[in-house]
Amino acid sequence: MASQTSLHPHKDDGAVHAHISSSAFYVAVFMALIALTVLTVGQSYVDLGRLNLIVVILIATTKASLVVSFFMHLRYDNKFNALIFISCIFFIGVFFAYTMNDTERRGELDGDQNVRVLPKTGEDAPGGFVPHAASSGGEHGAAPTGSGAAPAHH
Amino acid sequence: MSSEATANAEEHAHDDHGHHGPKWLAHHFDTPAQQFDAAKLGMWVFLAQELLFFSGLFVAYGVYRSWYPEMFVAASHQLDKIMGGTNTIVLLFSSFTAAMAVRSSQLGKQKATGNYILITIFCACVFLVIKYFEYTHKFHAGLLPGRFFHPHAEHLVAGAPALPANTGSFFSIYFMMTGVHGVHVVIGIGVLIWIWIRNNRGEFSKEFFTPVDIVALYWHLVDLVWIYLFPLLYLI
Amino acid sequence: MAAITTTPGAHHDDVDPNASFLEKKGLMSWLVTLDHKRIGIMYLISVTIAFLLGGIFALLVRAELLTQGKTLMDADTYNKMFSLHGVVMVFLFIIPSIPAAMGNIILPIQLGAKDVAFPKLNLLSLYIYWFGACFGLYSMINGGVDTGWTFYTPYSSSDPAHGGVGTATSVIPMTLAAFIMGFSSILTGVNFIATVHKMRAPGLTWRRLTLFTWALYATSIIQVLATPVLAITLLLLTMERFLGLGIFDPRLGGDPVLYQHFFWFYSHPAVYIMIVPGMGVVSDILASFSRREPVGYMAIAASSLGLALLGFLVWGHHLFVAGMSEYATMVFSALTFLVAIPSGVKVFNWVATLYKGSISLQSPMLWALSFIFLFTIGGLTGLFLGMLAVDVHLHDTYFVVAHFHYVMVGGTVMGFVGGLHYWWPKFTGKMYEESWARVGWFFVFIGFNVTFIAQFIMGSRGMPRRYYDYLPQYEIFHQVSTFGSWILGFGFLVLMVMFIRSLMNGKPAPRNPWGSAALEWQTPTPPPTFNFVKDPVLTRGQYDYQLATDDELYEGFDDPLFPGLRGGKAPVKKAAAEGDHG
Repeated sequence: MASQTSLHPHKDDGAVHAHISSSAFYVAVFMALIALTVLTVGQSYVDLGRLNLIVVILIATTKASLVVSFFMHLRYDNKFNALIFISCIFFIGVFFAYTMNDTERRGELDGDQNVRVLPKTGEDAPGGFVPHAASSGGEHGAAPTGSGAAPAHH
Repeated sequence: MSSEATANAEEHAHDDHGHHGPKWLAHHFDTPAQQFDAAKLGMWVFLAQELLFFSGLFVAYGVYRSWYPEMFVAASHQLDKIMGGTNTIVLLFSSFTAAMAVRSSQLGKQKATGNYILITIFCACVFLVIKYFEYTHKFHAGLLPGRFFHPHAEHLVAGAPALPANTGSFFSIYFMMTGVHGVHVVIGIGVLIWIWIRNNRGEFSKEFFTPVDIVALYWHLVDLVWIYLFPLLYLI
Repeated sequence: MAAITTTPGAHHDDVDPNASFLEKKGLMSWLVTLDHKRIGIMYLISVTIAFLLGGIFALLVRAELLTQGKTLMDADTYNKMFSLHGVVMVFLFIIPSIPAAMGNIILPIQLGAKDVAFPKLNLLSLYIYWFGACFGLYSMINGGVDTGWTFYTPYSSSDPAHGGVGTATSVIPMTLAAFIMGFSSILTGVNFIATVHKMRAPGLTWRRLTLFTWALYATSIIQVLATPVLAITLLLLTMERFLGLGIFDPRLGGDPVLYQHFFWFYSHPAVYIMIVPGMGVVSDILASFSRREPVGYMAIAASSLGLALLGFLVWGHHLFVAGMSEYATMVFSALTFLVAIPSGVKVFNWVATLYKGSISLQSPMLWALSFIFLFTIGGLTGLFLGMLAVDVHLHDTYFVVAHFHYVMVGGTVMGFVGGLHYWWPKFTGKMYEESWARVGWFFVFIGFNVTFIAQFIMGSRGMPRRYYDYLPQYEIFHQVSTFGSWILGFGFLVLMVMFIRSLMNGKPAPRNPWGSAALEWQTPTPPPTFNFVKDPVLTRGQYDYQLATDDELYEGFDDPLFPGLRGGKAPVKKAAAEGDHG
C-alpha cells in the first residue's frame, strides 16, 4: 500500500489528504471478490440444509466488507462516516428483527385466547361465526393461495 | 472581549483574502478539506438512506422466504445462475475500475481516470444487457409478478421443482428488487457520464477529485446491493 | 460590528455580501437562488398555503359532523375530506414546516455559516417538494383519495379496475406525491447533517449549539433513516395497485399487516420529525424569554437524540389490534413507555428553566408555554394508548384523534407559529403588532382546546374516528368540537392578517428585539446574503447571558413590560463599548 495519510481534516493547512492505495492492492481485492463469488456459486450446488442461508449471508457479507473497507475507503476514512454506515446497518437490523418477531410468531397464542377465527389457517375455529354465503364466493374465492390474510406456516 | 460580535473582526481579518483561491472551492467553505469532508459525509449519509430504501425489499424478502421456503426454492430454480453470476463478476469488475478511476484522479492522471470511467460505464451497460435477456426470458415464460403470474410449462427450466400457486409473490419481490437495483444502475450510468465529461474538461486535479470520489461511492453501493441480491435470489 | 468582510465567492461576485438578502428583486432572483434564507422563505410560503388548504379541509370535516346524518356533503366526499386533510397536513405541511422552512432560514445563521453545506441540493429539495405537491394537486383535481392519510392496504392497493375490491379514487398520484416529497425531506436531512458537522463557526463547539440546532440534527437523522422506508413502501403500494404485486393484498397472497409494519417504520419516527423541531423552537424561545441558559442543556439535547432513536423502536403500537403477534405487541408496548423518558426530561427541564428566570410574556413566549401545556397533555394521553389493554378500547376512536392533535397541533403547530413570531423580525426585518398577536394566540389556544377536549371525552366513550355519522349521545361533543374549530380557524385568520399587515407596513425590526444572546440575533436585521458582516468566532455559548455584553443583548431592545427602560439605555452602552475598542 502506498501512503497511509488519514483523511481526517487538518485545520492547519486546510488541504485534502486522502488515502491512496496501490493498484496492486485494488487488483488483490478484486481477485478476492471473484474468488468469493465462485465460492458462493459452488456452494449453491451443495445442500447444507439450514446452514445454506447462513453460509450465503456470511460470504456476501465478507464481499461487502471488502468493497466497503477498501473500494469505498471506509477503512481509512473519517471514523464518523463509518459510524453512519454501522448505525444504518443497526437500524436495518431493528427493522428486520421487529417485523419478523411479528410475522414469525403471529397467531401462536390464538388457541389460548379462545380466538374464534384462527388467523394462522384462516379457518373458523369450532363455535366460530358461520361464514356468509355471498361473501365466500366473491371475497375469498379469487385468492390464488387460498390461505387468506395470514399465510400458512410450512 | 467576550462577545462573538466583536471578537470576530480581529481574529479572522487576515483570512479574508487568503482562503478563496481555487475556482472549485465553493464560496461558503473556508478550506478544501472542509469542502471535501462535507461532501464525503453528505454522501455517506445519502448512502445510508439508499440502504434503508433497499431494506424494505429485503425485509419483504425475509418475511416471505420464511413463510414459503419451498416456494422460494422452486422459484429460484427458474433463475439463471450463469447469467446472474456473470452479472456479479461484471459489476465487481466495474466496481474495481471505479476504485481505480478514483485512484487515478487522486494522482492527477486525467486520461487514465477517463478511461477507467469509460470501462465502468461499459460494464454497467453490459450488466443491463444481460439483465434485459433475463427479463425477456421471464416474460416469455410468464414468470411475472403477482396478478400476471401465468407460467408456461414449455419455457420453464426442465427438471426444476413444480411451482406452487403463490410463486407470483417471489417474482413480485424478484422484479421489485432487481428493478429498483436496475434503476440505480441507470442513474449510475448517468452520473458516471457526467463525471466523464467533467474529467474531460480537466476540472479535476490532485487537489480536487471530490465528484469522482462520491460518484464512485454511489457506484460501489450499487455493487454492494447486488452482492446480496445475487445469492439471495439466484442461489437458494 | 464595524468591520466589513470581503469574502466574495466564485459564484456570487455580483452580490454585495453586506446587502440584506431580501434586497434583490424579481421572481427569477428567488427561483434560482442558492441562499438558504430565500429557499427557507419559499418553503415557508409553500407550507403556509398547504396549512390553509389542510385547514379548510379540517373545517369542512368538522362542519359535516355538526349534525347527525348529512349536513354538508355525502359520505364519500366526507371520506375524501378527512383523507385530504391528513395527507396535506402531514406530507405537505408538518413534515417540511419547521425543518425545511424555519430550519433553512435559521440553522446556518445559528451555526455562524455562510450557507448550508450543499446549497444546490437545498434548492433541489425545494423543487422536489413542489414537484411532489403537483402530483398531490393532480390527485385532488381527480377526486382525491378516501383512504385516510395512511393508505392502508388492501383498500388502497386493490384496484377495482383490475377486479380488486379497494377504492376507485386517485390513489397512485397521491402515493407518488408522498413518495416524491419524501426525497425532498431526505435531501434536506442529508444537507443539515453535513451542515451541522462541517459548517460550524470557529469556537462553536457541540456544547455551544443551540437546542434548536440539536433538535434539527436529531430530526435530520430520522429523516434520513426513516423516510427511505416510506419511499419503498409507497413504491410497493403503487406497484401493487398498478401491477398486482401481491405483497400486501391477501387476495394475491400478500399480508396487509406487513404494510402496516412498513408504513409505521417510517410514520412513527415521522411523528418525531414533526415534534422534535417544535421542541427545539420552544427550547430557544424559553431561553430567550427567561433570559437564561436552559436548565439541563445537555439533557435536552440528548433527549432529542434519544427521541430520534426510540422513535424507531416503537412503531408496532399502531398495530396492536391489527392481528400482530402477541409477543410483538408486548415488546412494542413496553418500549413505547420509554418514549415518556426523553419527553419528560424535556418538559421538566423547560419548567425548571422558567423557575427564577427573568420571564417576559411576549407573544413567542405565549406559544412556547402553550406548547409545554398542550404537549404534556398529548404526551400523557399517548401513554394510555401505549398500554395494550387500554388501547383495545381506545384504538381508532376520537381519543386517538385528540391525542394526535394535541401532539401535532398543540405541539408542532404551536412550535411552528411560536417560531414564526420569534424569528419573523429577523428574516423579514419587520415587527408585527404585539396586541394582535396576543389576540390571535388567545383564539387559537381556546379554540384548540375546545375542539379537542370534546374529542377526548367522546373518544373515551367509544366514538370511532373517521365515521360519517354518529349516535345521538355524541351529538353534543361533536357540536362543541365543531364550534371550537371555528374559534381555532378565526384565531389563525387573525394571525394571518397580522402577519400580512406587518409585511405591508410593520415597523422596522431592530437587530435584537427580544434581547437574546443567541448568534442569529447578533447579525443585522435582515441578515446579509452571507449571514454575517464578519465571519463570526464564538467566545461564549449561545445561551451564556452572563457573558453577553449589554450591547449584544439590548441594542434596540425594548421591554414591553417596562417600556423605555432598556430602549433608552442601549445606545449609551453601545457608544461606550465602541469607545473601548477604538
